[in-house]
Amino acid sequence: MNQWLDERLHISRLNDKFLRKAFPVHHSFFLGEITLFSLIVLIITGILLALAYEPSNSLVVNSFDPGTPDKQNLIPAAYHSALKINAMPFGDMLRRVHHWMANIMVAAAVVHMMRIYFTGAFKKPREINWWIGMLLLIFAALTAVTGYILPYDNYAFQTVGVVYAIVKSVPWVGDWLAQAAFAGQFPGAGIIPRIYGYHIMLLPGILLALTGAHMLIMIKQKHTQPQYAKRLAYKKIVGVPLMTQQTPIMLILALLFTGLVMLFAAYIPVHPIEVFGPPSSTPIPNIKPDWYLLWVFGALAIIPGFELELLGGSINAEFIGAMVFPGIVIGLMFAVPMLDRAKDNQYYAENPTNHPVRLAAGTAFMAFMLMLSLAGYKPDLIQAGLLTTANSNAILWILVIVVPVVIYFVTIGIVRMIRALREADERDSLAHAHADD
Amino acid sequence: MTRYKKQDPEITRRKFINAAMGTSAGVGVLSLVSALGSAKPVFRLTADVAPPMKGDVLVHAEGPNQGQVVKASELSDKLVRAYPKGRDSKGTEVIRDKDPTNILAVYKFAPGTLKEPTKLDATIDAQIVAYGDRCTHAGCNVGDDPKTSGHMFCPCHSGQYDATQGCRVLGGPPPAPLPQLPIKQEGDQLVVTGFFLSRPYGFNKEEDWEEYIKKVEEAMA
Ligand code: FES
Repeated sequence: MNQWLDERLHISRLNDKFLRKAFPVHHSFFLGEITLFSLIVLIITGILLALAYEPSNSLVVNSFDPGTPDKQNLIPAAYHSALKINAMPFGDMLRRVHHWMANIMVAAAVVHMMRIYFTGAFKKPREINWWIGMLLLIFAALTAVTGYILPYDNYAFQTVGVVYAIVKSVPWVGDWLAQAAFAGQFPGAGIIPRIYGYHIMLLPGILLALTGAHMLIMIKQKHTQPQYAKRLAYKKIVGVPLMTQQTPIMLILALLFTGLVMLFAAYIPVHPIEVFGPPSSTPIPNIKPDWYLLWVFGALAIIPGFELELLGGSINAEFIGAMVFPGIVIGLMFAVPMLDRAKDNQYYAENPTNHPVRLAAGTAFMAFMLMLSLAGYKPDLIQAGLLTTANSNAILWILVIVVPVVIYFVTIGIVRMIRALREADERDSLAHAHADD
Repeated sequence: MTRYKKQDPEITRRKFINAAMGTSAGVGVLSLVSALGSAKPVFRLTADVAPPMKGDVLVHAEGPNQGQVVKASELSDKLVRAYPKGRDSKGTEVIRDKDPTNILAVYKFAPGTLKEPTKLDATIDAQIVAYGDRCTHAGCNVGDDPKTSGHMFCPCHSGQYDATQGCRVLGGPPPAPLPQLPIKQEGDQLVVTGFFLSRPYGFNKEEDWEEYIKKVEEAMA
């Protein structure tokens, strides 16, 4: 049978090309894999959820609490079906796994990118994969946001209101854009079916296609090699082949990881839609986006409101904070591979301490994002009395600018110290080597 | 390398194919874009999305009394959320709750508390006042500031308004005050006497809002 298949499908070629792909042996190379496993689990749990979900925001009678015949308790069908999902066996669990996996996927992707950045793995010839990775990150965030809206509880309702406002804030075309994206003026009769389409078809399709490209390119270009490979066999690929050595490792990792997420999904509830209730006009105190979008939220909170007329379009703080500013940040991240002008291909992962400026810029960037995320807590800080309306903006602006600068120089200092110590070590061992002779 | 350029007939054929492909790609993209036009549904101004207007009665938007008339006697300096209730073209009563911008915040303050720039002649006895309750920043619903009575706090980006002074912005990112809605008292119920006095959330310019009012007046006449 093997031969029969091989003659038709050329499996031996597949074997040579793909299944023998060497994987570097270092734990930091598992981060990308974890991202991939989360995506797979997300798709499986997502399909199961989609089977029980009703994508419609037309009103139906709440079967859990029908009200009285003359005053029926009407709620959106989508919210109703989310309540039903919670009530079905393991339904709540399914939602939790889906939710936590999404968070972990973004987290793993971010850490994976840090590894790439700090070890210089984005350099030639891997620029394209850095860019595809960036696109993956952006579309993953978009998928997550659309997913948040689907249960259509009050939280989702308020969130989609703000997202609508952000799209609408684009000068000139914003109104058209928002209405086209969200099926009419907020909240249009078709808003949930529209977002459902995005969340289960369009965005996952894009994610899968990009993931496929990402991995094919990775297989073609090979991983960067860890430093030990240089000593072991210079310019040779060192690692364990996918078939049969890496596969069991991956399987164990995937199962262990999924099991762990299941375990904590069993204990940590997510987003209690019953508590938030159906869409209403009651504001939700402490409403916040997920952690990976908190920095945009923070920017929105500290950019003072203004409006500016320009050729008949109006440019406001919303547009600057939620479109232009993140655009600049994401643009910077896109530009990372352009920072390196080397003509040669990069084979080996670099030691971050050998590139102090890159390292310090990276840590400063992370500090910048963290400080902006802190600014996202501005309403809470004011309510807690830590800041006042009058001084909050000034203090948060200072933090956002000063902390990254400080972190930058501290990192450079630490790297200097490490390198001085290392050189001293080398001199030492050299001296002792002589003494030994 | 020869000094003479050989005219290759293949090239022209290739050119033709490229041009043909380019054209069909262009046409394809154009038709796709035109199909995209269907993504934006037409907006129909129906009674349930029309803005609060003259003759509407305020009803409770939430809580146990939802849908019932807001009585002047049950108001206080704590925010009460209300929707306008009007009539559609057939004359049946309809609560205008399909447009989130129609949500209102109603207060009753002690005499002498309400000050300019509140339009005092659009309030009831300079005590009862109604505002649109969607933050002019990104459209979140604004609630009471738990710390100061008469102040409002937007949970989204900490926008703050002073409800006793025409909902002017005290802090945070909102670009404009919440719009005041002119009301009068009839018996114990609150009746709207006109449109929002300034632009509510969603209208970038006063002109846009005025244009919209005109359209509404025509459509609802
Ligand atoms: S929506 Fe109210 S402050 Fe941003």
